[in-house]
This record gives sequence, C-alpha cells and structure tokens, in this order.
Amino acid sequence: MKTIVALVSLTITNPAFAQSEFFGDVPQFVEQAEIAGIDHQYRGPFEYFVGGGAASFDCNNDRMNDLFIAGGEMPAKLFRNTSKAGQDITFSEQPISATGEITKVTGAYPINFDNDAHVDLMVLRVGQNQILRGLGDCTFAKANDHFVFDGGDAWTTGFSAIWEQDAANPTLAFANYIDRDAPGSPWGTCEDNVLARPNPNGEYDQNQSLSPSFCSLSIMFTDWNNRGQFDLRVTNDRQYHRGGYEQLWNLNNGGRPEQFDARDGWQKLIIWGMGIAQTDLNADGRPDYALSSMGDTMLQTLDEDAEEDSPIYRDMAYERAATAHRPYQGDDLKPSTGWHTEFADFNNDTRTDLYIAKGNVERMPDFAEVDPDNMLMGLPNGKFSEQGGAAGIALPRRGRGAVIEDFNADGMLDLLVVNREEPVSLFRNLGRKTEWGYAPFGNFLAVELRNTGVNRNAVGAKISVKTGNLTQTHTVQIGGGHASGRLGFIHFGLGVAERAQVRIKWPDGDWSQPYRVFANNFVVLDRDDPDAKYWYPAR
Amino acid sequence: MKTVICSLILMLFGQQGVAQSDTAWAEKTPSIGAIENIPHGLQSKTQLEHLRTIGEALFTAQFTEKDGAGRPMATQAIIPTKPRRALRQTFARTSGLDANACSSCHNQPFDGGAGDFVANVFLSEGFNNHDFDTTDPEFSNERGTNHLFGSGLIELLAREMTVDLVSQRTRALSNARDTGSAVRVALITKDISFGHITATPDGMVDLSELDGVDTDLVIRPFSQKGVMTSLRQFTVNASNHHHGMQASERFGVRWTGEQDFDEDGYENEFSPADVSALVAWQASLPAPTVWQPSDGAWQDAAQIGAEHFDDFGCTSCHRTALPLNSLHFYDPGPVDAAGTLNQHDVAKPAIYDLSQLDWVKSLERNEQGQVMVPLFGDLKRHKITDPENELLGNELFSQRFVGRDIFMTAELWGLGSTAPYGHRNDFTTLDAIIRAHGGSAKSSKDSYENAPEKQRSEIVAFLKTLRIEVAE
Repeated sequence: MKTIVALVSLTITNPAFAQSEFFGDVPQFVEQAEIAGIDHQYRGPFEYFVGGGAASFDCNNDRMNDLFIAGGEMPAKLFRNTSKAGQDITFSEQPISATGEITKVTGAYPINFDNDAHVDLMVLRVGQNQILRGLGDCTFAKANDHFVFDGGDAWTTGFSAIWEQDAANPTLAFANYIDRDAPGSPWGTCEDNVLARPNPNGEYDQNQSLSPSFCSLSIMFTDWNNRGQFDLRVTNDRQYHRGGYEQLWNLNNGGRPEQFDARDGWQKLIIWGMGIAQTDLNADGRPDYALSSMGDTMLQTLDEDAEEDSPIYRDMAYERAATAHRPYQGDDLKPSTGWHTEFADFNNDTRTDLYIAKGNVERMPDFAEVDPDNMLMGLPNGKFSEQGGAAGIALPRRGRGAVIEDFNADGMLDLLVVNREEPVSLFRNLGRKTEWGYAPFGNFLAVELRNTGVNRNAVGAKISVKTGNLTQTHTVQIGGGHASGRLGFIHFGLGVAERAQVRIKWPDGDWSQPYRVFANNFVVLDRDDPDAKYWYPAR
Repeated sequence: MKTVICSLILMLFGQQGVAQSDTAWAEKTPSIGAIENIPHGLQSKTQLEHLRTIGEALFTAQFTEKDGAGRPMATQAIIPTKPRRALRQTFARTSGLDANACSSCHNQPFDGGAGDFVANVFLSEGFNNHDFDTTDPEFSNERGTNHLFGSGLIELLAREMTVDLVSQRTRALSNARDTGSAVRVALITKDISFGHITATPDGMVDLSELDGVDTDLVIRPFSQKGVMTSLRQFTVNASNHHHGMQASERFGVRWTGEQDFDEDGYENEFSPADVSALVAWQASLPAPTVWQPSDGAWQDAAQIGAEHFDDFGCTSCHRTALPLNSLHFYDPGPVDAAGTLNQHDVAKPAIYDLSQLDWVKSLERNEQGQVMVPLFGDLKRHKITDPENELLGNELFSQRFVGRDIFMTAELWGLGSTAPYGHRNDFTTLDAIIRAHGGSAKSSKDSYENAPEKQRSEIVAFLKTLRIEVAE
C-alpha cells in the first residue's frame, strides 16, 4: 500500500518524471575512490569552472586501463591500475615521470601519435597544451618539440583526433573557450578553435584557426552521414558567445574546412553546449548525438527525410524521455547543468544507456545547486528510464568530466567522475542486487582492435557486433565528452546471447571477415590475424 | 497488493473463468505451476521423485493455448525475436510449432527417447528464415530427435571436462606470466585431446590450434552439433521453438521488457520452477545399458563385435566409457550464460544426488572410484565428411559457428533402441550409417568396409545390444 501511495505521489508531484517502468537490471554502484587509492580534486578559479577531465588508457601494456586526471590549479595526477580481475578496484598514484608536475590542466585524451607500442597523451591546459609521449611502464616525456607542436596559449577545453585518408599521423582539433585577454572578456570574446594537420614528417606546423568559434566546450570528429569521411562537430556555450550556434565543419576530405550552414540544411541551434556523445541507436550507420547543456539534453538523429548530404537533425530527447532537464530527485526544480555525456551499456542488456555528469557551474542561482548525475537506462521500446538514484550515483557533487571503463575486468562498466572542488568519484559497478548478494548482468563482449602500421588503435574504425537480428555498432573515436577520453577495450552488452559475430570496417574502409566469438570474453582482433585471440586478465 | 489485484481481476472478469480453470476437465496442463518455488539445496530422494513426477507430467503434457502454447509474435529463435508480422499459422511442421508435447517426438522406445524420421525437426536460427514452409535445406537443417536417457550423466561429464580445460588454460596463462615466455599446452580431459592453446605473458591466448571444442573451452554436449550447454538451456530453447511455451527466465520481463513476449495473451508461461522440474526428470533418466540377448548366437556375435569395434578404431571417438567424479547434478548449472537460469540467478542451486537412483548403482566404477559412464562417445566435434564420402555433409547452414560437415560424436548408448540413424534420421540400417562415415572416421570406416561380412555383422550385433531397457 505504501508503494501505491508513493507512486501516486510521484505521479502527481513530479509529472515530468512519470516515465516507463524499468524492469531490467539496475546496476548497483558503490563509490570507492578512497579505498581504490584515488585522492584527488579538480580545483581552481574561473578558468576551472569548466573542464575537469580524465584520460583512461593503458600506460604499461597490461590492458588494465590507468588514469590521468586533471587537477586545474592543482597538479594533474597519474594513477596506475593495480586491480585484479573481478576484485576491488585499486590504483597506485605515481609521478608523471620526466615531466615534473603539470598544472593548469583542464582535461586529457589518450592517443598514439607516433604509432609505436605506447599510448601518448594530449593534455589540455589553460595555456600551452602539452603532448606527453608515452615511453612505456607509465613513464612519459614532454614532446611538443618532438612533434613540432605549438601548444598555443588558449584556454583549451576539448580535443578530438582522426587519421585522415592515408595520413600516418592524426589530425588534431582543439576546442578553445574564452579569450581571457580580449577586451570585454569574458562575454563575446571566444578564442578560435584550432585544426592541426600533420605534415609528411608527422610534425604539426600548419595550425588552422576555425573561425568563427563560439566558446566551445567539446569537439568531435564524426562520420555523420556514413560516407567514410570525418567532419568536425562542435558544441558551444551560449553563456559567453554572441551570435554563435552549434557547428558542424565540413573538412572536405582533407581540404579547407567550411561550416555547414542553412543552405546545407544545418539548423541553427543555440544551447549551453558542454559535451558531445555519439552512438548509433538503430545501427543504420548514421550516428545519433547527445549534447549536454544547461536545461534540456539534446538527443539528435538525422532526419529520415533528409537528403544524403544534408545534416538535418531532429531532436528526439523528449520522445525518448532523455531530456534530463532537471534533478530527478530532491526538491530543487531548477534546470540541470550537464557536462560529460557518454553512451554505454551499463547492464549488458544490449540497449545503450546514457550517462550525464551534472553539476552547477559555480553558484549559478538559476540552476539547480544539487544536481545528481544521470544514468538513463535504455528500454526495449527505445526510450530511457532514469535510474541514477537507484544505481547509487546520485551524490551531491558537481560533476564535470568522466570516464566509463571496466577498471577491474569483470565485464561490468565502472564509472569515474571528476568533480569540481570535490573528490573524484569512482563508482565500482557491482552488478544487480539480489536477495543473495550482487550478481552479474547479461553477457558481454569486450573488443580491442589492433590496426596495422599507422593508427594502431584503429581510430575511426567501425565495429559491428551481431547477435541474432540485433546489430550494435561502435565507432572508435578520440574526442567528445567533456575534456575526457579513453582508449582500450570497447564494451558491448550481449544480453542473453552467448556468442556474437563481429565485423570491423577498418579506418581505410576495408571490411574484415566475420569473427565468431563467444560471450563474456575480452577479444583482441588484429588486422593481420584471421583468428580472434582472447585476452585473460591476471587474477 | 496481490489481494488488491486479484480482487480487481475477479470483479472485472467474474467467476466463470476461475470455475472453468478449476474443473477436472479444464483444457489446461495442471502440472504447470505445480511447483511454486524453484528447488534449492540437496534434494532427498523423495524430493527428487516429486520433482521427477511433475517433470514427467510436463514432458508428456500436450500443451494447449490455455497454457500459453503458441507464439504468434515470437520466432523459434533462441534469442527472443519478434517476426515482422504475426506468424501465419500456429502450427507448421517446418518452422514450428511442430509438436504438442516434448514426448510427441522424444518417445522411442519410451518417453524421453528418440524420434522416428517423422519426428524430425527443422533448425533455422529463427532470425531471418523464421516462417518457412519448405523442407528445402536452403532454409533449415533437418535433424532427427535424440534420446535423453543418461543425459544427466552426459551433462555432468561435460561440466567436469569444461572445468579441466579452463583450468589448463588458467595454468598456461599463469606459467606464461611467471616465466615471461609463451606456453603451448595440450588440452586433454578424460583422455580426450582438444588440441592446443598457446598462452603468452601478456595474457593473450592463441586459439588457432583448438580441435573439436568452442573457443571458450566450454564443452556443449547437447544437440547433434554439440552446441547446447545444458539440459536447462535446451529445455528453454525447445519449449519456445516447438510449443511456444516461453520460459520467463529468458523471454520474461527482465530481458524483453514484456510479460507476454509472444503476445498470445499468457504471461510467464513457464516459470523457473517448471523448467527445473523438466530438468530434474531429464537429468535423472536412466542410462542405456548393454543388453544381453537371450539368443546365444547373438550374444557370441556381439561379444566379438565389441572387439572389432575397438580394433577398427571406432572407439577412438566412440569411447566406451568416460570417468565421472561426482554424481551431484546442480541445477541451475555452473556453465550456463545469462539467458538461461544460472547459479548467479539463485540463492542456492538445487543438488540432485544421482547416486540415490537405483539405476546408477549398476554403473561400473574404476579403481579411483569414478563412475564409468558408458556413453560410447567423446563429447567432441569431428569432421565427418571427406571428398570421397559426403553423405553426412548434407546441410547448407553452419549451426552456431560449427561448420556444415562437423558434428559431435554421437553417443551410441541406446542405439539399438533408436533407429533410424544419422543426424537426419535417414539411414535405416547400422551398416549404412557406418559406411556414411568420412573425414576423421574414414580409416575406421575403411576398416569396416574392408572387413569380411561376418565381422561387419558382428559389429552390428554388438551395436544392437546398446539399448534403452527400462523407462525408470
């Protein structure tokens, strides 16, 4: 009876959140950053109201992803993953060797610039951005000079990278925020974003300004119409730009970048753009995007009636119950402030879920002060159901960047959230709650790609995983989110399927043969090897 | 809350429906729901017998539409799948529903047994070709119905073999990590070789030298291809495929978001407890035996035939017996993945101690005290055709990653009670099915073909003594 009263009360008092019942497995997260050995905060004045990212990658070639976390005015920190499979997540902090302390860091993305055996880092800063070249065993060297890379002096908040055509090295894109030295700053003084293409020697001496720019907070190379060429999507903060809008740059297949505009069908959208996430909800090859903002989150899909080369998007956040526009619990009905956003299957039921980090910028009175992160669980009918509270992630912290990663190789995605002026949250995913303890979800598959020669991590590759009539797709990307990125195994929920067929469209467009693999395995697909190999973590 | 809902239902529908379902002549299967809760813990002989009674009733029940039989909006697929439009007809000998009861096909020589050619089934994955009306192999693989006698022992053997293989992989990985060098190991369990794997210090495993087992090293002992893990998994699959009776543990709301996935108006058609009863009955069906003919000439021929069977190399795959360590049958079992109830899904699995069953007492034990399961099989897949002999390579589809000319060694126990033969049940004599062997079995087949007629006859005499003798 109590339940009935509670349900009635919820329906009457909070109609915005009267939504589809969720019958699936609700992931149970437990926050254990301190236990895991991560004691870190992202702190600082105005320049660090935004940013606050982390990079998840394997810096010691053990396939257990390590962490580099921005610190704002505090030094960034490196944490080596010492977890054993299926056990508590543990990290060990270690110095970022050979570089000394790195401060003024807003975020970081892992990337392999030079196609060697070690992942490098692109460190975003308020001031000169910094390439840290991986040397193995979680050691790094500053490498701007090595790559003839001009890190600039901007307030950088976003990054993306792609290997264009036959390039041996990646093209880089930097999202910059406010030009804090311009007269009238901060309003209407947006720093230009930058596109950096490598020369044949792998050096970055040809930076191009992407003008106009509108105080961007996230940037992402994306093959939005599935033609095999990547363009550049940018989300911009209306708080500071004047006359700006969301942008999609046509990179013209390696040529001069041009904005898509109304003549192309690109509709002017003005939001407080904070983060971009990409997925492909119906596996049609044409990505759908989540854009976090203040108030409504956008969930954009290419309009069915749009012509092939027309980027005409339709927002379906409302019809899919994914607006996440205000806190889902508590009595603060002011709009939410969304930051990092990312699609992932947290409960391995094959349906993609949507995570959004939330948190007031800095005492903005018109927006919710207590603003829990969202965990929008995908439903069979294509809608989403908010389960952040039930999942245990609704802490009263101000989220910014985040990483979704299976840190302890148990087949269930964990979550790291970088909070502003508060400790980093590390949520271990324990599985579903039962009367007899925690139990796993559906089946899963983790896929690692190894490309030949250049672009070792196969950035730009498209993975198709087929189980029955269902095809799930994933594009390997560096970029988007909010100042946070990852490289490593790509996680798929398989639900009740105990096997899957996997095909890869490698970055150069070649398709692989089908790989036949069994569920609940970590699978390594090497382009030169016709057979899938399985990887087993240390226990 | 339950009371409120029940009262509402009564108010809305009156008492007529309740009265009809309660009558002795109600067109419903009373054994469905007879066990309210899934059994757990070690079951006494009495408890097991109770489960078996209900399991047998379910196995032999002719399910009705009032039980939930029929799946207008679900295909025969193992993964819950909806057709684009409602299936045209409730029953179809090809794509199903193709049986009213489990025992409609599994009935030779007793319930739980094999099926005649008329009871063949047509396998398609049920994703694309879910509504076919032809027996053309372009759409499906046609298969005979296997018997289930001794299947509990088969599953126990498979579980132990899986544990062995996985342990060998774990040790290889550990050694590779410790030594910093690649470690290549032979995978052998119960004296059966499954090829090699190579583990490297970085935790990678090269699977390219595997032989006759899936890459996850799980021995899947059921179906002619050896692609089904457990009686439980097979029961859930078959209940949907053949009867449209959907088990909630896979087709229920947790996975599909729907209480009535097949949209036939009935929710939760098979509870986990119903499936458990079916599993308990199947798992405890007696093992076939070696029959002693009263005819002295047959006895003598069979005895010599057994020796020829060994001499010709037939027992290299049709192993006479495999040793089993434990007779404790856990349900749900330790190997099933999500989608079939598994040990993560229950507080405590049921344990059926098969040693309580009278027929088990007659099984031989070796010097180590292991039960010797006389299956005449090796639970391994082999290539069964070659360019000179492709009679058994008559399918067009691979099944669940297993190539069209590869099958699991048929367990021969019960063979004498379950003619016809072959995976399509289209060989009427033992002589014909032996001659159809190719591929890995070529040399044995050649030995048979080249042997004098008397020796061939003696082998047939032996094989015909492998019978299912009693139903209980």
